[in-house]
Amino acid sequence: MFSCKSSSGLSVNEVPVMNEPQPARRHSHVRSFLTAMKRWLREPLLHFLLIGLLLFGVYVYTNRSRIGIESPRQIVVSLDDLRTMAGYFESQWRRPPTPQEFQAMLEDKIKEEVLYREGLAMGLDKDDTIIKRRMAQKVQFLAEDVAAAHEPSPAELKAWFEKNTEKFALPSRYSFRHVYFSPDKRGKNAHDDAANLLARIAGQPEDSPQIASVADRFMYQDYYGDRPPSAIAKEFGPQFAVALEKLKPGLWQGPIESGYGWHLVFVDTVIPGRIPAFEEVESDVKTAWLSQQKAQAWQKAYQTMRDKYTVLLPAPPEKRTAGAPVPPPKKRFPLP
Amino acid sequence: MKLKPIIQRSAALCAAFALTTTSSIAQQITGTPGSSDATSVLAQPKPNPERNAYFGETHVHTSWSLDAWLGGDRLTGPADAYKYFKGQPIKHPLGFDVKIDTPLDFAGVTDHSEYVGVTKLANDPNSPISKLPAAQPLILKNESVAEADRVFTYVLTNMLGGKVDKALMSPAVAKTVWDENTKMANEANQPGKFTAFCSYEWTAMPNNMNLHRNIFFRDCAQIPEMPFSALDSYHPEDLWKWMDGQRKAGNELLAISHNANLSDGRMYPIDVDSFGRPIDAAYAASRDRNEKLIEMKQMKGTSETHPLLSPTDEFANFEIMSFLLGDPEGRFPHIVGSYARQALKDGLSMQDTQGYNPYKFGFGAASDSHNTAVPYRQNNFFGQAAKADGTPKLRLSGLVVAGMDPRVIGTGGLTGVWAEENTRASIFDAMKRKETFGTSGPQIKVRLFGGWEYAADTTNEKDWIKTGYAKGVPMGGDLPPSAAKAPTFVVWAAKDPTSGNLDRIQIVKGWSQSGQSFEKVYDVVWAGDRKPDKLTGVVPPIGSTVDVENATYTNSIGSVELKGAWTDPNFDPSLHAFYYARVLEIPTPRWTTIQAKQIGVMPPDVVPATLQERAWSSPIWYTPSSDALKGVKRGPTVADLKKQGAVALTSEQIKALIVGKSVWVQNNVTGDKYQIIYGFSGKSPSGKPATPVEPGYVTEKYADNQGQYQARYVGRRFQEPSEVGDIADRSYIGDSGSYFINNGKIVTSMVGTPIETAVYKVGSKYMGVRSNEFGYANYEIIPAVAELSPLKVFQ
Repeated sequence: MFSCKSSSGLSVNEVPVMNEPQPARRHSHVRSFLTAMKRWLREPLLHFLLIGLLLFGVYVYTNRSRIGIESPRQIVVSLDDLRTMAGYFESQWRRPPTPQEFQAMLEDKIKEEVLYREGLAMGLDKDDTIIKRRMAQKVQFLAEDVAAAHEPSPAELKAWFEKNTEKFALPSRYSFRHVYFSPDKRGKNAHDDAANLLARIAGQPEDSPQIASVADRFMYQDYYGDRPPSAIAKEFGPQFAVALEKLKPGLWQGPIESGYGWHLVFVDTVIPGRIPAFEEVESDVKTAWLSQQKAQAWQKAYQTMRDKYTVLLPAPPEKRTAGAPVPPPKKRFPLP
Repeated sequence: MKLKPIIQRSAALCAAFALTTTSSIAQQITGTPGSSDATSVLAQPKPNPERNAYFGETHVHTSWSLDAWLGGDRLTGPADAYKYFKGQPIKHPLGFDVKIDTPLDFAGVTDHSEYVGVTKLANDPNSPISKLPAAQPLILKNESVAEADRVFTYVLTNMLGGKVDKALMSPAVAKTVWDENTKMANEANQPGKFTAFCSYEWTAMPNNMNLHRNIFFRDCAQIPEMPFSALDSYHPEDLWKWMDGQRKAGNELLAISHNANLSDGRMYPIDVDSFGRPIDAAYAASRDRNEKLIEMKQMKGTSETHPLLSPTDEFANFEIMSFLLGDPEGRFPHIVGSYARQALKDGLSMQDTQGYNPYKFGFGAASDSHNTAVPYRQNNFFGQAAKADGTPKLRLSGLVVAGMDPRVIGTGGLTGVWAEENTRASIFDAMKRKETFGTSGPQIKVRLFGGWEYAADTTNEKDWIKTGYAKGVPMGGDLPPSAAKAPTFVVWAAKDPTSGNLDRIQIVKGWSQSGQSFEKVYDVVWAGDRKPDKLTGVVPPIGSTVDVENATYTNSIGSVELKGAWTDPNFDPSLHAFYYARVLEIPTPRWTTIQAKQIGVMPPDVVPATLQERAWSSPIWYTPSSDALKGVKRGPTVADLKKQGAVALTSEQIKALIVGKSVWVQNNVTGDKYQIIYGFSGKSPSGKPATPVEPGYVTEKYADNQGQYQARYVGRRFQEPSEVGDIADRSYIGDSGSYFINNGKIVTSMVGTPIETAVYKVGSKYMGVRSNEFGYANYEIIPAVAELSPLKVFQ
């Protein structure tokens, strides 16, 4: 609709005349503004600017990674947004969406944003327990993530390990042989039979077949190597594990009761519990260190935030008189 | 109760929200490993080719499940569950510490796959979901228990009932939770020491019928982007299709169904699938490919069998829970189709008559706790519904939680597997080959081998397990082709060293003939010197050391270990059969009895004061070879009769035949003869059949087409077909039931499930066809029987 006579100026004659009648008493500076405007509208520079703006808009449109607020009345949907929407659909239905389905998803997304902003404008986010909780949770995750972002150096980890070795202590391990006296076979005599055998086998080699032949067959193993008390408790019952831990190695002892009956026990070796070398448990140390860092970061962050606030609570209830109407709290005091 | 994670990490959430001390927050979120975790330097045990028993939990909910969260489980998540199973104390939702009695070897946390994101988003105005009309009922208006209950009931009855709004599916959020779940399983997994599976619960519940399945993946590195939820489809058939697709994509997985007892008869259909399509070979194959295991027992009851389905099994009455989730008004649960033993029997009949068997599953057991932690022992019971049943007083006062009586809730069960080593692959493979067993809670071990060559004293050999594998198959397998007159089963059981002694090992046999299926429980090995009853073969009860008032027992009766071999004395090589072992402990006090003593009240009268904890081995199946079937005569089918020119009687013809008559009937499969009295119906003589009329005589009047029937002369040693109830007892005491004549069928019912009998006239004979016998005409009207029972002597 515009045409350029030359690159250097505008032809006033060719400016379209406005249809409405001009106000009779127009100030001259208004008229000159309009004239300037008209001139501007025909200015090629403006055209370039407009094209540039359009290009910029397209650029923004295609490069924003998520819906953002350009202005309160603008909703920008990026290519990435669209790709993500299509991707979710595909992961769910194992096929790409149809154009109709895609359009519907887009409309949903727009609707979400519109309603969200309207809701914010109406203050619907205020005094809502769920929203408060969600935001509190997000804040906590943020605080914790800060801690997780820091990768500990080996030296740092090792120093921390030295201070917390008890967390990584390895339990004692026991290797033992036992013979079994079954209440299924011997009834109430199981204990006494075991005690009698003990009196007779002192000094015999622990693997003497004679010993085993007097006792009953045990349904699991006759010899257990290198077992921590937890594993022994699981196999025999906790009271057996407790009793076994107190035995001296190198001789037959008992009878000890398990969940299955009575046993004579010969402890071969005890590998005492120990603190492992750092290198043995480095990955465990890192996990423990991280979770402690997280907890500390959160505690610290929360304390900092908490310190900014004063909490007012009503007066303690004992100051109220039973039966009497509750007076408004006279004294408010900050929470310590 | 089953639902979905609402808020991820609600422990942190609640802690952040609390106005209380920060130290408790730190305590809850500090995952500092104790010394028990620092064992990575210990040598790992070598794989055991003879396989070890590993015990695990395959069904537990944390605060991530919506219903658990609503119930008040807000302190603990999946990572805490794994800590608990490994033996560390964690917080009960009410804030006190709970600790497992004996740590487990493996576990998979199974939070509901449905509504993870949806409920969270519904309650988050930032989300589009929260604006959807369908989401409005999910929004908690306040923090009250009543409000939580409202949302819970809504989700349970509406959303899981199949009324799904597609708009409520939100992969974005659900995926976050799924990824987090995987991460926690990976963190908890310690090959050789503790296995943590990637798993979830598919929570389909159309019409309040529990069709839930737990899905387990073999490898956490081979899992889908997102779980398939009941929002994708509430049809099990769709779930299996998805699972087939996953398997094809390299994501090996299996399903474990649970609470058939709460399925209202739809867990084990025999006629039509959930779409109403006839069940066929494709259905059977699809189900068999995917559903390897079931939960025999969990906190919400036992799904093995029911006293009315197994009237001759005196131990069938164990932790029965007859209920529908959501407690819909005016409905009670159907028993037919709701129990595993009947499904196994129907499976045999289907294999025999149709050529496919959808019900060839193995056994496990689990808890379904919604507390993150699980009570497995009667003496360490702390409920399953978070705040609602968190104290003995709440539980014993029968405070109804979502329609459930907490006194009826039991301890969690456990799944045992026989696997080479404690790794994901080894345990998963054991589950897949069904070399598994379920227990009611204690870590009772049971082994079962079946074969043709075992010696009677096999278990006396030092290496009997090697023999077990070498000469036969372990539990979950199929007997090899027959090589002897009858199969022999080698059984072994050992008590939990921290629980009661063992009473007996039984073998439960099921078999099928001409569309009818039967069961018998054999006592195989037992403690003490009891003699089986000469008439029944049943070993008498072991007695009881329980002092109910003081809630104590002693292990002065029972055995530590039971083992032996048993050869089927009634084997017929032409009949399909299954065999599974059931191990019983001696009677011990139920948790209700123990806690009644603790708080000084009477034990409740709605549950037994004592129980016998137990374990169930997966079955071993026998399939007749074509040789064994040669020359075997089956009963006639409807098709056979029609070829002989048989016609079905109309309602009017049936009425003329039976109403107001006492008819003698023979079950042609078993040869048993008995009488059925069909009382007057409809416009019968004013309900006063006595002549002359006695003025004080009153009897019920019925509408047209219906009346009462009574079976007579049914003996205790009759071989009763399926789904007739305790007909011998009813015959003895003279109980009656209602019958109807509709659409050419005589209709009786089994706890709400109609069983229809069509009548065909073939020549001068009348043949009855029961609707649950796969088209076989097994009943014949016979002339009056003069002599009921030829005399028999003891053998």
